Formats: sequence, structure tokens, C-alpha cells
Amino acid sequence: MIVFVMFIILIALICLNVPIAVGLAVAAIFGLAVTEGIDSVVTLALDMYDGSTKFSLIAIPMFVLAGAIMNAGGITDRLINFVSAIIGFVRGGLAMVNIGVSLFFAEISGSAVADVAALGSILIPQMKKRGYSAPFAAAVTSSSASLAIIIPPSIPMILYATSAGTSVEQLFVAGIIPGLLGAFGLMGMAYYFARRYNFPKEDAFEFRRLWATLIDALPAFTLPVIILGGIFGGFVTATEAAGLAVIAALIVSAWYAKMDFRHLKRAMIDGGVQTSVVMLLVAASVVMGGFLTRAQIPQEFARWMLDITTNQWAILAILNVFFLIIGFFLHSAAAIILVVPIVIPLIQAAGIDPIHFGLVVTLNLALGQQTPPVASVLITSCAVARANIWDVSKINIYFIAVLFAVLMLCTYIPSIPMYLVDVIYRS
Amino acid sequence: MKRLSAIVDQLLVWFVLIQMVALTCVVIFAVIARISGNSVSWYDEIAAIQLSWLTYYGGAYAALHRRHIGFDSVLLSIPMPLRAYAVIFAETVVVGFFIILAYTGYQVLVVLEGDFLVSLTWVPIQFTQSVIPIGAALFVLCEILSFPDYFKKCCDGISLEHAEIEEEVETELAKAGIKP
Repeated sequence: MIVFVMFIILIALICLNVPIAVGLAVAAIFGLAVTEGIDSVVTLALDMYDGSTKFSLIAIPMFVLAGAIMNAGGITDRLINFVSAIIGFVRGGLAMVNIGVSLFFAEISGSAVADVAALGSILIPQMKKRGYSAPFAAAVTSSSASLAIIIPPSIPMILYATSAGTSVEQLFVAGIIPGLLGAFGLMGMAYYFARRYNFPKEDAFEFRRLWATLIDALPAFTLPVIILGGIFGGFVTATEAAGLAVIAALIVSAWYAKMDFRHLKRAMIDGGVQTSVVMLLVAASVVMGGFLTRAQIPQEFARWMLDITTNQWAILAILNVFFLIIGFFLHSAAAIILVVPIVIPLIQAAGIDPIHFGLVVTLNLALGQQTPPVASVLITSCAVARANIWDVSKINIYFIAVLFAVLMLCTYIPSIPMYLVDVIYRS
Repeated sequence: MKRLSAIVDQLLVWFVLIQMVALTCVVIFAVIARISGNSVSWYDEIAAIQLSWLTYYGGAYAALHRRHIGFDSVLLSIPMPLRAYAVIFAETVVVGFFIILAYTGYQVLVVLEGDFLVSLTWVPIQFTQSVIPIGAALFVLCEILSFPDYFKKCCDGISLEHAEIEEEVETELAKAGIKP
């Protein structure tokens, strides 16, 4: 009963636009005060402090900062030129470039909203000029930006790993194949639209141009090499890779000699704010987590679910539906912090690999970024394209279907996301 | 009030910037030290404290600009004047929570008197954990300073998230040399 009342308090506060972190903590305080007496609330400050000192989450501001430095340092234009040289000759070339650059950008930054604002402001106006409709340009930009949270480094993956007590490095590895599948699937769908609406091709393929753009963009590729190579090779942890990525980003930006310091300052502040907003949620979740653990709620939930079914695939199906719905209404960080600690005992009891489940959660939340009412990525794309959100959604539904297909594949054929994890860490 | 808001804004901006730079320096130094075989013992503890400071001082800045993760669709669909009452109630809850946090944070500081960090034994824990009462008090100040504008926007039915995205897009379009 008390948990039900806490849930109602939380939902009511969220509906009143109280910051979710505060709603979470207030509901937990209510639970503590009722079950353990008002004196137990004195632990609030200790829990809120402990929650904000989770060492593994230091990677978040580092990755955000590395992405911001690269963006301020002139990488975006070079990546666009390089991807354009590879794939621009295909019908619907600019849409392909959009998806391809998002793929590279995802390797650097963990934030989809930042990516879509940075890439969309360059590519969407170009696409509109070349005859693509504004809703189509926005839909391609929006859906491809979601690759940022599937492909490492990914902030939701770092949060999941911390909440579930799993390896962030293994989760990063698990994201690679689904991310590539998603990118190629989105390109296939964009090609279908390009043929149907006769979208233009860009410049013809030339090895000379490809070589020139590759050389120009080469320093930028040091970041994915450091991040992926360092982590997968076992040389550095995710946090250390994030720190090294910042150094590499500074060196590359100095190499390009195109640092926009005003933009960098703003990006650093945004990075700090983004970190603090997520960390406050994490801190509040420690208050709630303490209460839930003492009340054995996650274990009760696991028992209740296992009474209904012990079938792994049925449990994954139920959780898929749950995360899809919650993704409509909550930002990815909030969804992970609120739900993952509660469902992890169930995942363990059902014998589901927490890394596999982490990837499933991330894919669900990538879909959630594309679906209103809470769809920050979609809304940003619409704002750049000056397109109506419903017109964009009508086209975006096809791209969402591609991401949904990837989700289904990864959910029910675990060897797809887990292949590289098995090869690198478990063989 | 606007002048005070601008002063608090600038103070917090610089604090967040300094924290970001300092945290980056500590992480980079520790990575280089470990790779070169001279790991530093204070790294984990200090970096975690810096993250905590970034959380609460950055959180206060986010409160000043109403950038905490929330969900305003339901609130904005409530008819006036009920919406205005709902906004005032929600604001009271937020401010009340941070007052409790500041109070309990201060009580913890009193208890921690005489304790020092494990790795840097000359740094009092009272100093590092002061972030909770100070951060919470700053949060309350920032909520109060930003409330009039937030209240007006809510009453006018303007979504802050959408307004923020618009602002971000304008900046990026301007950077790309495109007139919005």
C-alpha cells in the first residue's frame, strides 16, 4: 500500500513538472517517514551526497566535453565531406550522408540532442535546398541521431551499467553491431524513399576526392580509435578513455586550428549542466533505492513476475512493452534510473544476461526519443527543419519501424549484440 | 531581482566551468600517472568529490534556467487558473525539499566535525560535504529567482523545453551561417 501511495506521489509530482529527481526524493522521504519514522529522514543528506559521488559516472562529463570540443573544433564539416565522398553518389545521397555522419558522430558524443542540433543545422538546410521535403529531412536527422545512444560512448549505457552493477565496457561492445545494423537499416529505408520520390544524387564517386577528404578527416578518427581501441583492448577503463578522448579532442582541434572558443565555453557549461541534471537524478535514486531495498520491493516484484511466467522471452517481451511506453513519457536517463534498479533482480532471477538486457533497454529508449510527447531529439529536428511534428512523425514512423526491427532482432537473437562481447571478454 | 539573478548566473557559470576544467585535469593526470606506472592514491576520492560539487552547483545553475528533467505536457494542459495554483504548489514542493536537504546537510556537517579525507588527510570532510547545505540553499535561491519568469510562461502555456530547444537551434543555425 505504502509503495502504491509513493508511486502516486511520484506520478503526481512528475505531472506537475516537478523535476523528476525531486519527485523521486520526495516520494522516498514520504516512504521513509511513514515506515521508519521522521527521524530516518536525516539520512537524506548522506544519501544525496553518496549518490553524487559515483566514480564510474565521471565518464559522463568527460565524454560530453570531448564531443563539445570536437564539435567546436571544426570536425563536423570534415566528417560531412568524408561521408559525402563515400556515399553521396547514391540516390538520396544527402540523406545517406546524414545517417553516415551520425554514425561517426555517435562514436564521439554520447548525446543525441547535441548531435542533432550540430548536424541538423548544417545538413537539414542543405537537404531542403536540394529538394528534400522538410519533414523527410527532419525525420532522417532525428532517427539517425538516436544511433548516438546505441553506439559507444553512450551516456544511457553508462547510467545503466552503474544502476545494474554491470560492466560499462562490455555494454559499449554490445552496442556496436546493433548500432551498425540500425545505421544500415536506416540507410535502406532512406534509399527506398529516395527511389520513390526521386531524390537527387550528390557528386559522383571519385577515389581522389575520397582520399583527400579522408586525409582531412583522419585526425578526427583518433577519437573513436582511442575510445573503442582503448576500452576493447583492455588498456583503459571507460572513465580513463573519456579523459584521453578529451586530450585527443583538444589536440585534433588545435591541429585543425578552428577552435570556436565562445562555442566551446557554452558547450562546456551545457556539458556541466547536463551532467549535474543527470547526477541529481542518480543522487535522488540512492534515497529511493535505499528505501526500496529495505522494503524488498525489487525482490517482491521479481517474485510476482516469475509467478506469472518464468519464460525469459515472455519476460523480455513484457519489459520491452514497459520500456517502450515509459520511453514515450520520460527522458532516457530518468527512465533508466527509475526502472532499472527495480527490474534487475527479475532479470537475474530469470537468467537473462544483464549486458544483453542493458542493450535492449538502450534500444527501447532510442525509440522513445522519437515518440512524442517527450521526444527531445525529434522536437530538435523539427525545430531545425521548421517542420510540424506530426508531419515529421508520419515519415519518421518508417524509420522508427527500422529501429524497432533492430530491437526485436537484438531482443530475441541475443547472439547479435552479444557476439562481440563473447569474442572479446568471454572466449 | 534581475540584477541578483545575473550575478548568481555569472558566479555559477564560472564555478561550473572551473569544475569541468579541474575535473578533466584530474582525470587526465591520473590516467597519465597510471599509464606511466605512478598511480596516485587520491584520484578516486578527489574526482568523486569534484563530481559531487559539479552536481550541486551545476544543479543550482540548471534550476536558475529551469533545465532539470521534467515533464510539462500535463501541467500545460490544465486549464487556468487551476494551472497557476498547480505551479505554485509544485514550486513549494521543490523549495521545501531543498530546505529539508539543506537542514539535514547542515546536521551532517556538525556530526562530521573532526573527520578528514582518507587519501588527503589534511582536508576536512566538513569542507567537501559542505556542498549539500550550500548547494541546496543555492538551489532554493535559484528557484526563487527564476520563478516569476517560469510562472508567467506556464500561465501563458509556453513549454520551457520547447523554448530551450528553439534557443539551441537558433544558436546552431547562426553558427552554421544560416539565418533562422
